[in-house]
Amino acid sequence: MTAPLPKRIIKETERLQSEPVPGISAQPHDDNARYFDVMVEGPGGSCYEGGIFNLELFLPDDYPMCPPRIRFLTRIYHPNIDRLGRICLDVLKNNWSPALQIRTILLSIQALLGAPNPEDPLNEAVAKQWKENQPEAIRTAREWTKLYAQKK
Amino acid sequence: MSEDARSTEKSESSGLDPHEDARALVRLIQCAQCSRPYRTPVTLPCGRSLCRECLPQTHERENISYPDLPGRKQGYQCPYVECQDEHPVSDCSIDVTLTKVMDSIAEIVAKHASTVRGTLTFTEEVAHDEAISMSTEKPPTRQTYGGRLMATYLLAAQGQLAYNADLLYQSISDQVESERGLDNKLVKELLETTHREVDCQVCYNLMLDPVTTTCGHTLCRKCLARVLDHSFHCPVCRRGLAVPTSLQNQPSNKTLVDLLNGLCPDAVAARVQAVSLEDQPGEGELDTPLFVCTSAFPGQPTFLRIFEPRYRLMLRRCLLGNREFGMLMYNRYHEPQGELGTVPFYQYGTMLQVLHCQTLPDGQSLIESRGVYRFRVKSHGLLDGYTVGSVERFEDVSLAEEERLEAEETSQPPPADETDMHAVISRMPTQDLLALGREFVYRMQARSASWLAQRVLDTYGQPPEDAALFPYWFASVLPIADEEKYKLMGTTTVRERLKITASWIRRIESQRW
Ligand SMILES: [Zn+2]
Ligand SMILES: [Zn+2]
Ligand SMILES: [Zn+2]
Ligand SMILES: [Zn+2]
Repeated sequence: MTAPLPKRIIKETERLQSEPVPGISAQPHDDNARYFDVMVEGPGGSCYEGGIFNLELFLPDDYPMCPPRIRFLTRIYHPNIDRLGRICLDVLKNNWSPALQIRTILLSIQALLGAPNPEDPLNEAVAKQWKENQPEAIRTAREWTKLYAQKK
Repeated sequence: MSEDARSTEKSESSGLDPHEDARALVRLIQCAQCSRPYRTPVTLPCGRSLCRECLPQTHERENISYPDLPGRKQGYQCPYVECQDEHPVSDCSIDVTLTKVMDSIAEIVAKHASTVRGTLTFTEEVAHDEAISMSTEKPPTRQTYGGRLMATYLLAAQGQLAYNADLLYQSISDQVESERGLDNKLVKELLETTHREVDCQVCYNLMLDPVTTTCGHTLCRKCLARVLDHSFHCPVCRRGLAVPTSLQNQPSNKTLVDLLNGLCPDAVAARVQAVSLEDQPGEGELDTPLFVCTSAFPGQPTFLRIFEPRYRLMLRRCLLGNREFGMLMYNRYHEPQGELGTVPFYQYGTMLQVLHCQTLPDGQSLIESRGVYRFRVKSHGLLDGYTVGSVERFEDVSLAEEERLEAEETSQPPPADETDMHAVISRMPTQDLLALGREFVYRMQARSASWLAQRVLDTYGQPPEDAALFPYWFASVLPIADEEKYKLMGTTTVRERLKITASWIRRIESQRW
């Protein structure tokens, strides 16, 4: 027994299409309206500039009471994103609020690309490099962006 | 559901026509205190609104110790005669939604006021009060412009239209239709511009039975209740909401309810209908799986091993759904349970949400759950071997009532007999009752009481500072009979629960146990 799609998800999806956010897109699957293919462009001026990152986003049954589940599919060198693409972001965990939405979460993720925070790491190795040799870390992030995050 | 049915009837009959009911429409947004359209309105805990500037003087509140939060020691005496309650300062915030709606109204009127000078409307004030109408003085007649709605709004904005006063409109005959057109246009524009403001930020639908939090944010009552199942914070601003379980008793935002019913009765009726359809499956039916087993409390963890096949089935179904089931205590002494009569369980239980479930190779499941809220069983039956029921959420009274009770009990004369434990406890301030409990826990910890071993604290956490949660925590760790713990389940105030925990402590100390 599958419950009908809540009005909220329908409206959010509509608004994502009708008022798109520059540099971000989210497309629901035809066979599963709770599962989105997400694309986020690396913010200008950051070491991810020019990169196009793919993510998957899933709205659990109790959304919006619980946050969307989201993960990077594209490999990325970032202290707050681990090798499985999981993201360390407060609004995806304890600071989630049902007044947030897919749009605001994706904007937060884009902002996280612009401002890596090695003090609250998810990927210890990357965070260590970021703290000890930032120029080198940024160089690696650029390289990975070129290597993995180009439009196919 | 009966409430929703009532609001359907109301909304169908109470739609207001922008032209015919112009006076009544403007009254909906007039401050009853200053008669002007609300300026930065504040919505009070009683659901009524007034301008921030129209709030009365604050005063010190007496005999109140709980909840000990900034802003609760000062209060306003509600100026509405229907209420007259004391509202704590911290519960009276600027109503964000209503403020935005008022701004939109002002903007729309300003936009049209400059373009419609041609349409004349004459208004004549009609006094309500007989004493005045009998006076020989002729009521003032004014010539204004812009259709009835705008003319009325502008009169109010200029402070020339008393809240209770009525108006007689006289239009030049060939202008009636253009006036009517303008009135309709204003309302249409208003609905278009405020559309997003009156949409609930949780369900993205028109707010249904809007309730405004103490921080001034408004959501559908049902949406707010769901939010509070997960977090005690306002979803919009994340401010902590004190004792949110009393939400059931929180009045609706009167101004917004009246405005929505007045301006878009059809949209409101459609929402009522949609929600009643959503709730239909199971409404009044035996739709809640019930597990008759042990005591469990809101906010506290409960660990269970599920091995009987019928309960495995219950668990599987529960995991496919909202992951919640009701926990009831076994009624081993066959005590009668209210309307239910003598049933194998106690009538008050706790809804548990499954947090983790580990299924072992032999089909047994180990589950970790957390208490979400209390409920009362209204009726029950069997489904595939396990108990199911129709349950009703059971909540505390409102904070105002909680505070009133404390003030009443703590201002009683001292007990005649100082050794009368019950009389002494019932006069203690709520905060002192909490302190008594917490100090007892620390004393017992210092004595290395086995029921406070590290293993227990790892599971249940340190004693909560929140008075609303402390008794549930205490009952979860204290080694006393479940039947004694059950006394907490039927309580309706934080204070009542703290009095129960205090009496347990006094009995333990006097070795009467
Ligand atoms: Zn009041
Ligand atoms: Zn006022
Ligand atoms: Zn809602
Ligand atoms: Zn708020």
